[in-house]
Amino acid sequence: MSVEMWTEKYRPRSLSEIVNQEDIVNRLIGFVKAKNVPHCLFAGPPGTGKTTAALCLAHDLYGEGYRDYIMELNASDERGIDVIRETVKTFARTRPIGEVPFKILILDEADNMTADAQQALRRTMERYTETCRFILIANFPGRIIEPIQSRCAPFRFTFLSREDLTGRLRYIAEMEKVQLLEDGIDAIIEISEGDLRKAINILQAAASVGKPVDKEVVYGVVGRANPYDVRELIRMAMEGEFVKAREKLRELMLKYGVSGSDLVKQIHSEIFQLEIPEKWKIRLASAIGETEFRLIQGGDDEIQLSALLARLVEVGQIIGKDRE
Amino acid sequence: MERTESRNIPWIIKYRPRTLKEVIGNKEGIRKVVEWLKSWEAGPPKKRALLIYGPPGVGKTVAVEAASRDLNLELIESNASDYRRNSDIKSFAGLASQYSTLTGRRRVILLDEIDGISGSIDRGGLKAILSVIENTRCPIVLTANEIFDPRFLPLRDRCLLIEFKRPSVREIVSHLRRICLLEGIEADEQALRYIAEKCNGDVRSALNDLQAAAQGLTRLTMEDVLWLGYRNRKEDIFKVLRTIFYSKDCITVKQAVDRTDLDLDMLFEWIYENVPYHFDSPFELSEAMEALALADLYRKRIGKTQSWSLLRYVIDLMTAGVALSRVGRTGRWVPFRFPQRIKLLSSTKKSRELLSKIGSRIGEKCHVSSRVAVRDILPYLRVIFQNDRKSAEGLARWLELDKAMVRYILES
Repeated sequence: MSVEMWTEKYRPRSLSEIVNQEDIVNRLIGFVKAKNVPHCLFAGPPGTGKTTAALCLAHDLYGEGYRDYIMELNASDERGIDVIRETVKTFARTRPIGEVPFKILILDEADNMTADAQQALRRTMERYTETCRFILIANFPGRIIEPIQSRCAPFRFTFLSREDLTGRLRYIAEMEKVQLLEDGIDAIIEISEGDLRKAINILQAAASVGKPVDKEVVYGVVGRANPYDVRELIRMAMEGEFVKAREKLRELMLKYGVSGSDLVKQIHSEIFQLEIPEKWKIRLASAIGETEFRLIQGGDDEIQLSALLARLVEVGQIIGKDRE
Repeated sequence: MERTESRNIPWIIKYRPRTLKEVIGNKEGIRKVVEWLKSWEAGPPKKRALLIYGPPGVGKTVAVEAASRDLNLELIESNASDYRRNSDIKSFAGLASQYSTLTGRRRVILLDEIDGISGSIDRGGLKAILSVIENTRCPIVLTANEIFDPRFLPLRDRCLLIEFKRPSVREIVSHLRRICLLEGIEADEQALRYIAEKCNGDVRSALNDLQAAAQGLTRLTMEDVLWLGYRNRKEDIFKVLRTIFYSKDCITVKQAVDRTDLDLDMLFEWIYENVPYHFDSPFELSEAMEALALADLYRKRIGKTQSWSLLRYVIDLMTAGVALSRVGRTGRWVPFRFPQRIKLLSSTKKSRELLSKIGSRIGEKCHVSSRVAVRDILPYLRVIFQNDRKSAEGLARWLELDKAMVRYILES
């Protein structure tokens, strides 16, 4: 038997295997029965089953050979809307043979597309509606432009319940003959924050240690999986060690491949854990927001983040003086 | 002892060609030079002077030197600065009036860098040279970079013109390789190519670069030569940096940049690298970095919209914007550092490419983008790989990772 990532090995194949998001599943089963699917917008936090639901829908609609009828694109990976448009054009040109007269295109991370790209996408969607239905997947439906939203059947995926997560983790542990202890489950659930993909990845990494999976093992692997510490970066800057902080920043981006925008988000959530006067937290949030905006505008990751670090150096100094 | 001595000799002298065989490139030009020199054996030819022209460092002087050695001629050299005084011209005229030396060896006179003659005083000098050429009884060779200035017109008429061209990259690389061999240095092809391409046909500067990068090493890699691209401009860059870090008015700083033709992106990197070492106060640092961040934004806007008129704001911010961040006194003198980011970007290029390939392999199998794969899945995959070799093998097969990718995951 081949070894896989457990997230794939235990990904439900059919809608009937999905144990949560019941309302959504029921509506999708209705599409399968009618052999008709509208354009859809699957929105919700990561690891809540959006991609799985799309794949299961296709599977149930077309049968085992469903791969021939669908195409998966990831908006973050494709270079621009032109590539997407060309790909769609080729894919959707022909009507499939069989009972279902259309193909399905799954466009993941659609909310990472610019508004202009989405406008172009909208026209493409309209043009090929007869032969191709779109399932757009997004974390934030608000970032999908209104005209697309109004053409799509909306599906809102919510965080999985603690019971659902626990049940799934236990099931996988049992199948893989991994001893999963109660405090191990608690730790995984706490860290994964309702993201099942993350939870399963942690479980698989913890299982690879070769010991019963308890709290210690879980925290151990999570610590190893996150060798870089944004808190450390912030601390260096606030203590005035700009040069060191900048070196650290380079290491994170060049060695670990952390993107500037991910880093900005992590810095943002750390700011509120800092022991600094409350009013400064919100001032810093604004500075961080400005940095993220500049990155969206195309600013250089390192330069923009360095400027933010320099700002942290300054704030660290002011707060230090106030305390004296 | 001998070792230390030879260490101090610039390689351009140590490895200066002795014979024509050792001269790189310009085979056709060299053949013509030899032919013309030999034609003197049958008495002065129609054109009594030879004018070799071509860009610096392509081997004009070296070819004449080697030719005179090969043909056993006595070479009398002088260069531009010598033609200024009338007495010099006279003594040079005296030499030219004799066909051979007392020992019977024939001689050849080399007037190097003739286009170094400039201004009104030298107009007379040029005239004097022309009259010497008219009456000479021995071959006169002149060299110049550029001969299309109208004042050289009479000279062009009276000389046989031979153009020396830039040797090819391949020729320069093999020359550099020969020298590395003699110096006991194992050199990567890529590194030598880099030097050869950078020098733009100037063998002299290629050799200087090689010595600067390779002396004292036993192995020369791309990393050792990368900084060279900017070395030639180091002085210019340092001058601008000094102005930026130590001036207090916009005009001075902006002018310092206007007067150079430095690559702005490169200058930006130098400023960005050095700002933290030259601004001690956190307030100044923050303001200077902010100026750079804004300059970067304007730079990106130019890229997006092709509005080059925005360039002036990039310059304002990255130079005057940084300079004017200073409130207090200038700090102590700190040496300038080469932009580490450039070094890092190039030294990590391969591993970054590998990382993004790994990301897309994982992404394909796990239905996520490569960015998310690197961020959310790879860290756990790495833990599994390091803990459990057997699973690692299976997962590598399933993800279709090659050996280099597996090694990268295990070691990073």
